[in-house]
Amino acid sequence: MMPAMAQLQFCVLFLVYVATQCTSTNVDTVSSGINIKNVDRTIDISSQLVKITSKVTLENTGKSPVKNFLLAVEGTGKAKLAFIGTKDGNNKDLRNVETDVKGNDDAKFWRVDLKESINAGSTASVVVETVYTKALQPYPTSITQQEEQLVKYLGNLYFYSPYPVSSQKTNVILNTKAVETFTKVKPFLQLDGSISYGPYSNTAAFTEKELVVHYKNNSPFLTVTRLERLIEVSHWGNIAIEETIEVEHTGAKLKGPFSRYDYQQDHHSGPASVRSYKTLLPASASDVYYRDTNGNISTSNMRVKKDSVELDLRPRYPLFGGWRSHYTLGYNVPSYEYLYYSGNEYLLKMRAVDHVFDDMQIDELITKVILPEGTTNIKANFPFAVTRLPDSLHYTYLDTKGRPVITFTKTNIVENHIQDFQLRYSFPRILMLQEPLLVVGFLYTLFLCVIIYVRLDFSIHKSEHPHKD
Amino acid sequence: MTSIASVIPKLYQEYTTKTAKKLKIIDAYLLYVFLTAVIQFVYCCLVGTFPFNSFLSGFISTVSCFVLGVCLRLQVNPENKSEFLGLSAERGFADFIFAHLVLHIVVINFIG
Amino acid sequence: MTTLAEPDLGNGRNKPIFNNTTGFSTLITVTVLLLAWLAGFASRLFAVIRFESIIHEFDPWFNYRSTAYMVQHGFYNFLNWFDERAWYPLGRIVGGTVYPGLMITSGSIHWLLHALNIPIHIRDICVFLAPVFSGLTAISTYLLTAELWSRGAGLFAACFIAIVPGYSSRSVAGSYDNEGIAIFALQLTYFLWLRSLKTGSVFWSICTAISYFYMVSAWGGYVFIINLIPLHVFALLIMGRFSQRLFVSYSVFYIVGLLLSMQIPFVGFQPIRTSEHMAASGVFALLMAVGALQYLHSLNPKGQWKKLLIVGGLMAAGLVFLMVVFLTYIGVIAPWSGRFYSLWDTAYAKIHIPIIASVSEHQPTTWSSFFFDLHVLVCTFPVGLWYCVKNINDERVFVTLYALSAVYFAGVMVRLMLTLTPVVCVLSGIAFSILLDLLLRDDDLPTAPVEPNDKNLYDKAGKVKKRAPEPTSQADFGLGMNVRSGALIAFMILLMLFSVHCTWATSNAYSSPSIVLASYGNDGSRKILDDFREAYGWLSQNTAEDARIMSWWDYGYQIAGMGNRTTLVDNNTWNNSHIALVGKAMASNETAAYDIMTMLDVDYVLVIFGGAIGYSGDDINKFIWMVRIAEGEHPKDIHEADYFTEKGEYRVDSEASKTMLNCLMYKLSYYRYDSGGSPPGYDRTRGALPGNRGFKLTYLEEAYTTEHWLVRIYRLFEMFITSVPTDSVVYDFLTVLAKRIENFMMIAAGCGSRLS
Repeated sequence: MMPAMAQLQFCVLFLVYVATQCTSTNVDTVSSGINIKNVDRTIDISSQLVKITSKVTLENTGKSPVKNFLLAVEGTGKAKLAFIGTKDGNNKDLRNVETDVKGNDDAKFWRVDLKESINAGSTASVVVETVYTKALQPYPTSITQQEEQLVKYLGNLYFYSPYPVSSQKTNVILNTKAVETFTKVKPFLQLDGSISYGPYSNTAAFTEKELVVHYKNNSPFLTVTRLERLIEVSHWGNIAIEETIEVEHTGAKLKGPFSRYDYQQDHHSGPASVRSYKTLLPASASDVYYRDTNGNISTSNMRVKKDSVELDLRPRYPLFGGWRSHYTLGYNVPSYEYLYYSGNEYLLKMRAVDHVFDDMQIDELITKVILPEGTTNIKANFPFAVTRLPDSLHYTYLDTKGRPVITFTKTNIVENHIQDFQLRYSFPRILMLQEPLLVVGFLYTLFLCVIIYVRLDFSIHKSEHPHKD
Repeated sequence: MTSIASVIPKLYQEYTTKTAKKLKIIDAYLLYVFLTAVIQFVYCCLVGTFPFNSFLSGFISTVSCFVLGVCLRLQVNPENKSEFLGLSAERGFADFIFAHLVLHIVVINFIG
Repeated sequence: MTTLAEPDLGNGRNKPIFNNTTGFSTLITVTVLLLAWLAGFASRLFAVIRFESIIHEFDPWFNYRSTAYMVQHGFYNFLNWFDERAWYPLGRIVGGTVYPGLMITSGSIHWLLHALNIPIHIRDICVFLAPVFSGLTAISTYLLTAELWSRGAGLFAACFIAIVPGYSSRSVAGSYDNEGIAIFALQLTYFLWLRSLKTGSVFWSICTAISYFYMVSAWGGYVFIINLIPLHVFALLIMGRFSQRLFVSYSVFYIVGLLLSMQIPFVGFQPIRTSEHMAASGVFALLMAVGALQYLHSLNPKGQWKKLLIVGGLMAAGLVFLMVVFLTYIGVIAPWSGRFYSLWDTAYAKIHIPIIASVSEHQPTTWSSFFFDLHVLVCTFPVGLWYCVKNINDERVFVTLYALSAVYFAGVMVRLMLTLTPVVCVLSGIAFSILLDLLLRDDDLPTAPVEPNDKNLYDKAGKVKKRAPEPTSQADFGLGMNVRSGALIAFMILLMLFSVHCTWATSNAYSSPSIVLASYGNDGSRKILDDFREAYGWLSQNTAEDARIMSWWDYGYQIAGMGNRTTLVDNNTWNNSHIALVGKAMASNETAAYDIMTMLDVDYVLVIFGGAIGYSGDDINKFIWMVRIAEGEHPKDIHEADYFTEKGEYRVDSEASKTMLNCLMYKLSYYRYDSGGSPPGYDRTRGALPGNRGFKLTYLEEAYTTEHWLVRIYRLFEMFITSVPTDSVVYDFLTVLAKRIENFMMIAAGCGSRLS
């Protein structure tokens, strides 16, 4: 009972901690001593995601050294933002913390702590990476089987920043020449598969100007609407992973009939449909299975590569706009790669989410970690903010009091979130003997019962013979 | 027909002299069960069989009681020793109780 | 304890397996039975190994679906389950229209395993249930045969039944159907019946009744038991073999069995209301009368009663018979149902109930299938039968009757081969046991030859090698040594051929899941055609939750089970007119069909088309039955002759009749079908080029077609009122009106209930 109580207590504490961290954001003010000298921005909208990479050169125009600076995301984009990351000039990750700025309520701010402060008058360059999901709208919203998929991108022509920008350039990568319309603000240049804007000089802080690109995008618009990842840790050397995945094609919906004839005859038919996609598993993955509620899905290929196992997954049917599919993917990995221990203390280091397909977007992730029976003192450490759900118990083979299950969820996930989480726990190793002993004990009693049954005579009439005679 | 008429008193005499007391008790029980069945049947003929399952379970349970009683009587009767090899009277009675257990569980389930 | 030393004579009666003279024979018995179980289990796993752990065919899908429902919602909710996904718009009260034994069995196994924290998915339990029960069947067959003849014969019979194709055809892994557990219940009931008859013990009779109850809960074939056992009793009475043991065992079995069988909601009051069950009650009454007369006779055992006994018995029999006839006449007892008539008159179903005749397993059995399903046992079981008749006793009368009736029924319907198989195994076991006994017997034992009961217990095929030296030493007493060993080798070869045949037949003929097809390339590579699951998966994910799918009834259970969508008709063919309506829609032209479909609220239509890959079980080949069934109900609109050519041929090419080329089924099958090799649009199944091509559909559009064209799904255009003939508008209006009225009624009912 005690460990359970302790767990509960810990869990509550943790939730409180997470909650406080989320709500009571620090309040910052925009420092007037920072000026952005140059921004070189790349907007990649060739896939279903919008990936913006900005090379920002900061200049300290004030007197005192600057230790940190602020990043801003405009109000229209903040709901779609899945990931924001910052790196310094040496490609080292910088810590960023969500924050608030008085007077700017619709925008969202992050405070980035620099490794070395910028002295007055000097500059530093930072790379900011943001990923937006569902920022590309299919337009028209429904197409027939033969039509190409056209999407619209709505963004900001200028780098959105709390500081004035002296000079900026933007390059929009489309990977297609087929552009219907796009915003034309001089100077601009349309090239093969990309449009470049700028340089624009001296834009004020918080400047917004609409950037619209309407173009052909037949890359797979697949959304994982729900992913449930189950990690079952066994101290006998194996970690079993099972992912239950619901996929939906969120591009332009299919209008009218689906014709198998056209689809078979003409390989360009259904350009926006998804026939198959690739999933990368850890290199040590074995016993891979791919099925749904009706059994195995027999159309898949597996290739073992040097650093990963590549699965070519084909859903039972091609996915057109609005069509859904769901499946279960499971595999085993050896535990020595992920589980470290010293004495009775263990450390589990695993990915909170793994690769499903390239440029994936996941609406809802639920990860469950089942630890061995008898585990106590569980401490979790996550690479990004998650919502931790109450712990539960799971019963499986030869369990008596159940295995603790750690559950956490997160919404809006992209590939940049493929990071390790850490679980520390203690487990008395003597408990490993419990399960074999249970089996031995059971067999022992079984044989004992048979022996007793054979030796004794239970039948009524024989025992009553002496009575009668 | 006359032979039958003359035979009946003879039969009665035979019965009273030959039958053991234990068996007579069982016979009395059988008579009682039989009469219950008859009453039930007459009742349902007069009033109707509306909750049909209740009537059936009642009627069948009396019939089964009767049948089981007869079986017990057969097995207990020492004259039938050769028929029922290896079945003692106690075993017969144990079986009787077991059968009743099963029977009444089912009847209670069925009577609704 | 002293009884342990008793020699094992007299059939080993009253002795449990473990309580034996020598532990050695017990060991052999247990080992052989375990091996038989294992062999039976293993030989049924071909489908799982070749494909996967999956439910097969059609009916098992329903059983699986209801089992899953029961596991999820609990037993009582299952009994009250109203399934609105079936028989739209009627729905189906599942709890009252199934034999729940199968679901309860696997449900309780599931419950037990989960109570032990063994998290096995209910699907795997369902898949492996039948193979596991085949082992139990082997054990009960062993017990039955041991009761009839000897334990050696029992071991033979157990080994036979474990692998014989006639039984494994219905019990391979994945074929999750009633028969899988019912054969076990059947054999167990017969064994317990014989046991109770032999001992005259009430206990065994009650066990028989309970086992019978299990059988009733599991399979409609219980009627076979409730007619065969009375027949046995009746035969014994006629043969003058009445005994008090018979009285005890039958009367207790009948009355308790009757009460128990009425506990199953689906059976209900049938046991006292229908003709199929009347033989049992008649025999019960007769037995009572005979028993009473016998008792009177025993009171005064003088000559004058003998005549009265016979006359009284005959009169009682006559009276009972007349009573039943009278009750049938005034309608208290229902007459024989159509399915039973078709057992007596094989042509009956074809004329009156096309829906029964349309099922392939209701066709008469061919000779080759006897041999295919039973192999060498066909030849040996008459030998066993002959020996049983020769050394007749009460139990062997039973097995004789069992064999004769089962042979008859198996001849009538392929499906009933299943009831023949166990008795064939029993009798062949006896035959083989006798023959091997003859060959291996020590001839110098004088008591041996006549009484077959006290033969040694080691005459099991697997044990022969061990015993072989013994007969050779004594060979000069009887048959020559060469003759013996020659015959022995011949038998071994025969048995070996049998087992090879069994494995081959099970693996090739009976282990196909039929929802996953496999095709073999020229280089022996295997390609899996998974079109059915592709289509059902598509349905389950990409149609509205309450979408109604119209298809021929064969696929109803699969659509409900895998696609999880509402169907109009399914394999529980209880409502012929509804099926006929679907048949009519398929057989009509598009406009008329659209009227029917809007009337039935259809959203999607699903057809099976095998033309692209040469799959012969598709809807066009079944189509003629749809026409026949539709004609039965709508003789004005549908005429079978319209679908044939003038020469009376059934074809789809340009010579086919006009009605055929324009009916909905034809159009849905061949719509935009232009691939499929050379020439384009060639139908491989029927080897013809379709006669009507390049047409357009007015009221439907292709919603999905699977990779190999096997399943084609069409969507009905909604609100197509503008160009639809007025009839359909009327229908629409009527349905709307009906719905309004229904709503109003519901509101009224709600008010009423609130008031009360």
